[in-house]
Amino acid sequence: MIKIKPEELTLLAQYIHNISGIFYDQKKAYLFESRLGPIVEESGLSNYTELYHKAKANPKKGIEKKIIDAISTNETLFFRDTGPFDLLKQKIMPDLIDARSAKTAGRQVPLKIWSSACSTGQEVYSIAIVLKELLFDFKKYNIKLLGTDISDAAVAQASSGKYNKFEIERGLARNTLQKFFTLNGGSWKIKDEIRGVATFKKQNLMLPFNGLGKFDIIFCRNVAIYFSMADRKKVFNKLADMLVPDGYLIIGSTESLTGVCPKFVPERHMRSVYYKLK
Amino acid sequence: MNSLKILVVDDDPSTRLLLKKWLEKEDFDVETAVNGMEAVGLISGHYYDVVLTDLMMPGGVDGLGVLDAARETHGGRTEVILITAFASVENAVVAMRKGAADYLQKPINHDELMLRLEKISSMKALIKNAGDLREAMDVTEQNAAATIQNLEMEISRLNKKLSVGA
Repeated sequence: MIKIKPEELTLLAQYIHNISGIFYDQKKAYLFESRLGPIVEESGLSNYTELYHKAKANPKKGIEKKIIDAISTNETLFFRDTGPFDLLKQKIMPDLIDARSAKTAGRQVPLKIWSSACSTGQEVYSIAIVLKELLFDFKKYNIKLLGTDISDAAVAQASSGKYNKFEIERGLARNTLQKFFTLNGGSWKIKDEIRGVATFKKQNLMLPFNGLGKFDIIFCRNVAIYFSMADRKKVFNKLADMLVPDGYLIIGSTESLTGVCPKFVPERHMRSVYYKLK
Repeated sequence: MNSLKILVVDDDPSTRLLLKKWLEKEDFDVETAVNGMEAVGLISGHYYDVVLTDLMMPGGVDGLGVLDAARETHGGRTEVILITAFASVENAVVAMRKGAADYLQKPINHDELMLRLEKISSMKALIKNAGDLREAMDVTEQNAAATIQNLEMEISRLNKKLSVGA
């Protein structure tokens, strides 16, 4: 593995922050080396300074995308931390449907949900599975489930709805797997009835949210932990503007909005905390 | 010290006994089945890390049937290695598409078999390690979450109190 020099750490940390908002600790040289080293090698470059210049010279080209795919931590699993999914089932969906049904009088009940750092799609499909088991018939609803992520590779996998045996073993009960996935060769694919309510696209949380509309529920779990405090403030302030007035924000179970965003107030249901607009 | 539990399935007694002898010598925990039918019965009641099965067997259940049974009962946790005659590579490829871990051609080479098992063994160790890490992370996360959520609610309560007082 090619070693990274101290001045390159500063250069690359700044560059990574600029393109993704992700804060890379310069003390963790191994992280730069293990994640970016392979790109340096496969691009036929000899050091990290060259990688930086090559990526900068052509921001629309492959190198920047490769760097983003490599630096983003895609750790995720189906039904990660069961709390939010119980919350969705027991509290949020019943409340939202009550509120929305009264207004729609027989027409399809609209529901817009955004998984704003969806990684390879497990959170989106977990939400969709909860909705399917709760609502049975999607025809009575106009469900739009949007998954976005900064990594092209993650978005592509999410969109394919295909998972290998290691991914499938994490968080999925056997009967859920059999009900909602089909085995095809060595991988499992989410069924069309679930895939059909989801849309995926690339979105950098640091950039403006254009043309997404407003959401009833936003999931923004375990992504802001990779941002600096200043960037966290920016992101959650922007997310507040993406929620309908009675909408719900769900963040990671170990995250806090205290001192981050005064637009939200926490509320508690069972073992979960969620946020509503003040 | 090999901890893999292996099921050897072959209708040919000499192959079956040879494999059993080789594997036991390496300290694997070995069971055998004389045909696909018996193997399916064993798989439905027990967990095996590896199933080493002949592809062509008489009696209605062949190696692919054994593979299906392992996949259905234990998902991807059981690794299935097919043993094929020289001429049936195409069938082996079909099996790989259906999720078999690997295939070996007859006559089986001792060292080749051991290398495959070593690979499976280290992969299982990696998976266990990842699982342990995950468990450690989950426990840490749950503890931290309870503390943070309590604080979050408490601060919010105090803030409300302050703004009412102001």
